[in-house]
Amino acid sequence: MSVDTDAAQQRLKAAVHFTVGRMCHSLGEDHRRTFSRQVIAAIAETTFRQCDIFAKDLEAFARHAKRSTVSSEDVKLAARRSTALSIFIQNKIEELKNQEQRDLKKKNTGKRKSRDTEEDSRE
Amino acid sequence: GPAKMEPGLPKNYLMGVFRHFAKTKVAPDVYPVLKEIMDKFFDRLAEDLEAYALHAKRKTIEVEDVELLLKRQGHVNDKVPVEVLIEKYLPMEYRKLLIPIATSGNVVIPKQRR
Repeated sequence: MSVDTDAAQQRLKAAVHFTVGRMCHSLGEDHRRTFSRQVIAAIAETTFRQCDIFAKDLEAFARHAKRSTVSSEDVKLAARRSTALSIFIQNKIEELKNQEQRDLKKKNTGKRKSRDTEEDSRE
Repeated sequence: GPAKMEPGLPKNYLMGVFRHFAKTKVAPDVYPVLKEIMDKFFDRLAEDLEAYALHAKRKTIEVEDVELLLKRQGHVNDKVPVEVLIEKYLPMEYRKLLIPIATSGNVVIPKQRR
């Protein structure tokens, strides 16, 4: 592995670590718990490796359907094994599709609108 | 009258294969449990293969669906291609069907997949 890809990987890992830290923090606030630094690092590492597995699976699924672009169908297939996750992903995809249609209708105010709905769904 | 055909593998075959891989004596009361597990395994196998075929917009399950399943199950990976598994576990007559072999007259059967 060259120095460049190594550095890129380091930066990716740092980004994942940062996001995991933020998520753990907000989750901890909700449940009045704190996460130790090691736990956050472990979750970040797990997430990173899980992404590797997901990427390979999604690539295989897309190729299986003779596509070179991963689509929401592939994501659905990857989440099929867990019922709860599958339902969640299904709803999320539908939500995104609806939002996309709304955005297309109101092209001018589309950007602001999508940011608003994103914030709503997060709360 | 004709015996009722239970779906599933024959008892002595299933136990024989199990004994072979377990490398020990296997008590007969293992069979009902093993049968239950195998039934569940085949149910899940069928569901998965159906999903993969539908994903490729087909109604027929093909070799590539099974290959994808083996990949997802972790049997096939970067280090172990499907051919290695075929050579390791299948008898010669099945290997001949799945892996191209040159016969006399230098005719290769079957045609290379894909």
